Amino acid sequence: MALPLRYSLRNALVRWRSTVATVLGIALVVFVFVLLQSLAAGIEKSSGNTGDPRNLLVVRKGSTAESASLIGRQNLQDIRYLPEIARNAAGEPVISADVLVLVNLPRRLHNGEANVLLRGVTPRGMELRPQVHLVAGRWFVPGHREVVVSAKLARRFANFDLGSSFKSGSATLTVVGWLAGGGSAFDSECWLDADECRSLFERDMYSSFLIRPVDAAAAARLIDRIENDRRFKLKAEREVDYYRKQTMTAAPIKWLGNFLAVTMSVGAVFAAMNTMYAAVGARTREIGTLRVLGFRRRSVVLALLLEGGFLALLGGILGCAIAFYWNGYTTATMGMETFSEIVFEFRVTPRLVTEGLIFAVAVGLIGTALPAIRAARLPVIAALKAI
Amino acid sequence: MNLPGFILRNAFRNKRRLALSVSSVAVSLFLLITLQVALRELTNPINDEGSSLRIIVRNKVSLAQPLPVRQLQVLEKIPGVVAVTPFSFFGGLYKGDEKFTSFAQFAVDPARTLPLLADAKIPKAQLDAWIADRTACIVGQMTADRYGLKLGDRMQFTGQIYPCDLDLKVVGIYHGTADDRNLMFHQAYLDELLGNLGTVGTWWVRASSVAEAPLVTERINQAFANSSAEVRAESERAFVLGFVSMWANIKTLIGGISIVVVFALLLVTVSTMSMAIRERFRELAILKALGFRRRELFAFILAESFGLAMCGALLGAGGAWVMYHYLLNIQKLTNGLFIMFEVTPKMMGLAFSVAALLGVLAAIAPMVTVARTSVVQGLKTLD
Repeated sequence: MALPLRYSLRNALVRWRSTVATVLGIALVVFVFVLLQSLAAGIEKSSGNTGDPRNLLVVRKGSTAESASLIGRQNLQDIRYLPEIARNAAGEPVISADVLVLVNLPRRLHNGEANVLLRGVTPRGMELRPQVHLVAGRWFVPGHREVVVSAKLARRFANFDLGSSFKSGSATLTVVGWLAGGGSAFDSECWLDADECRSLFERDMYSSFLIRPVDAAAAARLIDRIENDRRFKLKAEREVDYYRKQTMTAAPIKWLGNFLAVTMSVGAVFAAMNTMYAAVGARTREIGTLRVLGFRRRSVVLALLLEGGFLALLGGILGCAIAFYWNGYTTATMGMETFSEIVFEFRVTPRLVTEGLIFAVAVGLIGTALPAIRAARLPVIAALKAI
Repeated sequence: MNLPGFILRNAFRNKRRLALSVSSVAVSLFLLITLQVALRELTNPINDEGSSLRIIVRNKVSLAQPLPVRQLQVLEKIPGVVAVTPFSFFGGLYKGDEKFTSFAQFAVDPARTLPLLADAKIPKAQLDAWIADRTACIVGQMTADRYGLKLGDRMQFTGQIYPCDLDLKVVGIYHGTADDRNLMFHQAYLDELLGNLGTVGTWWVRASSVAEAPLVTERINQAFANSSAEVRAESERAFVLGFVSMWANIKTLIGGISIVVVFALLLVTVSTMSMAIRERFRELAILKALGFRRRELFAFILAESFGLAMCGALLGAGGAWVMYHYLLNIQKLTNGLFIMFEVTPKMMGLAFSVAALLGVLAAIAPMVTVARTSVVQGLKTLD
């Protein structure tokens, strides 16, 4: 016969003084794990959330990022009038040749400098990226030295307030608006007119083409055509696929999260073991009584495992709750692909919470296993005699 | 039985708990040292004489913006400049590597590079072979070891930043610099592949002396002020620190997390250690009844808890030191992400101070209870 569930739960709570530290310890382990993984999840989410599935992005073959890609002007002429590319109402092909420039700019509060991604974008390119909209000010006027910066970057960089200007190279750019990318990678970009950008930074080449094909079949044909044409050393893929792969930055963070979780859990297992050994030691007589009453060994083991698992679960819930406090908080680091500041949010996803809880319970069960077995092996008579 | 004997006996009474407590202290301090070492290595670049003599000149716009090759003549004439070479980060993917190549490739002018590689040990014949052959390259010992390269091998790179691929011949292997990983090849070869754009990535400059270096940096910045390609010159160390600052919030976050990690494990340890003493109230009450003074009881508790923490520190911090110094090849283990992984005396000091603090903290709670409990109450305690 199994012991009632309540026996385990009440036992875990009645000696709260000695268990509170164990619960807290496990909570902090889970907290560190969930927090670091939520950073990685935030990076993945922001790039996974970017782009339109109908669009194709063309970059130079071999380049890992749009910002490191260079495409000659002749290629634009060769691709522009291909029949697979859709036309807008005015009959122009829907293709945008963008230029990306990395600019080193000072942070607010004299907090060092960082690279910011400037995108020289055409009117077509703006139509192709409906995720981006203006939240303050106005759009740049083509031919003027004006820039619209991401509102999220504006909080981090000096001279990004509306109306202020910053100098880069020979150019002085005035901030006329703030844009928002709806939680996409565009939240880490600043936009200005493509031709203006190319002349200011002396760029003869383009960085990427963004294309809207006529339909899905045309998209497949176009990818085929661009990849196989000997004249182009270009790579075409769906815009969403390109962004989904831009998650190199998340890898080391994930690794660190896992490493810390594993190492810390060793300490947490020791702690859980100590607590449960003490629990078993203190209840020797009680356990003997249970056995005399006819409870089987495995019932005792199960009851103790439940007790340890329950303690750990409490810790896990607490840890997730603390980590959840940071959910949605915006932070930034240097993107490994773009070498520029990328902003993203902590994302405590349901999956992470589940993983955290499973992890906590596992620590609890491993820590309880040996003490529980010891309790079950106690000779009944000796246990009853114990003080 | 004398007093130390008594304390020792007590400590070893519950061997399992002793082992568990000591190991959890050890694990936490091991982790503390590991995080400290990693953080130091990531945020604190090598600081030797060479790195303060060498200056990197980049475009003021950003590192990604090239510099015109005509700047060379101006740079050479600046007082205090001993040597200048183009220094273009190629950032290619080595054939066989999936996504990421752990060593950098730089295009330089071999004939001008020698003064900048002052610490590097490389046979004269190999250097001459490098200078003579336009498609030749030299690699650092660490990279050569990692990929099993020998003289005469060919290396292919796919350009990720530059729109061209490299096919290089290894003619020399150097060692003795702070970071023996980099590969160097001819800027002339890169120019040829790109169709002579007339640009370089950055300039690498050597100043005549450490005292002169900051002045040289200033002169270089001045020389190109208000030109079409303004530059930012900084010492190699400052340049690397600039990179570190770009990690932004992540750096602070990792620092914060290492504090949480240590705190979490200490918390747990304090609780288990006080558990050991709480269990012994009856005995302590008997000792009290026998006439032992309160402060003598305190001494027992403190000695045990302090000794336990110190054993943990010896095992954890000492273990980390032995492991990172002698046992593990960190370079190989982390794919060259960490080179030195040096445990400094300061870190060992930190670990032992934390342990000492822990030993005292863990003793406080039981001491307070012992002080409060009367002999009769103590004798009544059951567990």
